[in-house]
Amino acid sequence: MSKIKIENVCYVYDGGTPFETVALDNINIEIRENTVTGIIGHTGSGKSTLVQMFNGLIKPTSGKILLDGVDIWEKPKEISKVRFRVGLVMQYPEYQLFEETVRADIAFGPKNMGLDDAEVARRVHEAASFVGLDESSLDKSPFDLSGGQKRRAAIAGVMAMRPEVLVLDEPSAGLDPAGKNTIFDGIKRYAAATGAAVIIVSHSMDDMAKYCEDLVVLSHSKVVMSGKRNEVFGQGELLEKIGLGVPQMTGLMMMLREKGIDVPADIYTVDDAEAALARILGGAL
Amino acid sequence: MSSIALGQYYPSKSFMHRLDPRMKIIIGIAYIVASFLCTNVFSFALLLLSAVVLIVISRIPIKVVLRSIKAIIFIMLFTAVLNVFWTKGKPEELLFSWQFINIYSSGLYNAAFIVVRIVSMIIGTSIFLTYTTTPIQLTDALERLLSPLKVIKVPVHEFAMMMTIALRFIPTIVEETGKIMSAQKARGADFTNGSISKRAKALVPVLIPLFVSAFRRAGELATAMTCRCYRGGEGRTRMTKLTLTYRDFVALFFIAAFIAGIVLLNIFAPGYTMGG
Repeated sequence: MSKIKIENVCYVYDGGTPFETVALDNINIEIRENTVTGIIGHTGSGKSTLVQMFNGLIKPTSGKILLDGVDIWEKPKEISKVRFRVGLVMQYPEYQLFEETVRADIAFGPKNMGLDDAEVARRVHEAASFVGLDESSLDKSPFDLSGGQKRRAAIAGVMAMRPEVLVLDEPSAGLDPAGKNTIFDGIKRYAAATGAAVIIVSHSMDDMAKYCEDLVVLSHSKVVMSGKRNEVFGQGELLEKIGLGVPQMTGLMMMLREKGIDVPADIYTVDDAEAALARILGGAL
Repeated sequence: MSSIALGQYYPSKSFMHRLDPRMKIIIGIAYIVASFLCTNVFSFALLLLSAVVLIVISRIPIKVVLRSIKAIIFIMLFTAVLNVFWTKGKPEELLFSWQFINIYSSGLYNAAFIVVRIVSMIIGTSIFLTYTTTPIQLTDALERLLSPLKVIKVPVHEFAMMMTIALRFIPTIVEETGKIMSAQKARGADFTNGSISKRAKALVPVLIPLFVSAFRRAGELATAMTCRCYRGGEGRTRMTKLTLTYRDFVALFFIAAFIAGIVLLNIFAPGYTMGG
């Protein structure tokens, strides 16, 4: 059964004025349980608006957002409860750190949930271990951490609420490859430990190929494709047409096939490509 | 948050838009002075007429102008009511009396005059200074007008630059505030419920990141300006030179005629005189 279902959602900015813009146009998406779903799209495709709908920061102009089958806007006064169940990590989350210590900052969410001190401490410890922050850095000021550590502390701040759905908007933007891997490893650890559904927004095809099982492609405020990873990447031409392209390894395999080399088409990551080439070359890699 | 009306510049190519911003500042000040010179029905009528004329020649839609008046409607009504009830006129001017409430005709006059004065002043200054002049033009003009102060070592250019930068970053900071508020709401922060002190406390998680990023931005901007060899006002040349044209002298002539008209009406026109 689907964890989140988005039904016919539209969102219009400045409705009724000459500045009216449609940010989301009749969106239908299903997010499966225990699955990592990627949302891909250009800047301005409506990704960031969509992301803020999952936890009720933005109310759709029309349409419904169902969490476990219940409309999240059924009781608007209880929307904050939805925000604890659907954790949202916004872009550049390190800019929202404000407490004196990393520990206190991670505790902000769980404290707002009204948990007791012992439980808050347990959540903080757990969240820090997911993202790989060691005990010594918890007592530092968040402003003394490195860029990557700050990002991880901010993500831990959302994980500490132990949401059933974790939504991350461009979690690896502006990080070096090592920092990127640490972040994604942390997300994977969280998903494995809690069984949460994870939604990652990005425009990096390679990251999406590596970490996501399901994919949703947005272009010009509409969903152009959605489905399992191979279903979406199987339509390389359409992806190229909307200017998103395919993962580098998929592109490489397409080129090899054009040259008459028989490699499988459903190759998305470096590891897959390595295995496929090794098979062809008789294990010589 | 984004609907906050900042920099109300209304782009157009009217006569008013093309005036030299320095002249607009001078005329704007003269206009405020003129509104305080008015004392009787006729001079106030001329003042109100001039406000209408200003709207027409600047080609600002009346809706836009009314929006800026709406912001101060409460203050206007408040002063008008005060004047109606608290003006103590001559006994023969008494119109209405009930217990301790005495209303004099002079009170009604004063109330109407004050309203006309405030409305004209708001229309006048906003048309000269905000609707038809971009903030950049305005700071530029201020820098020029204040440049004589350089003789007594007032850092006029630096002040103007600081003002320009401050204006430039207001929309950025408004946007940033929105983002941070959303981020903290996502972690369960509540800005709308609870007592005043609770709500004030709820702003801490917004204000701290906001200040941190403002300082970070300031540092980055300073570095970027240094990289482009910014070194203050001394010897700095300009991309757009301000030059006075025939329009500016026409405008100057009209404002002088307007003030003369008000003074003459004050002296020669009959009827109730304010403060007399």
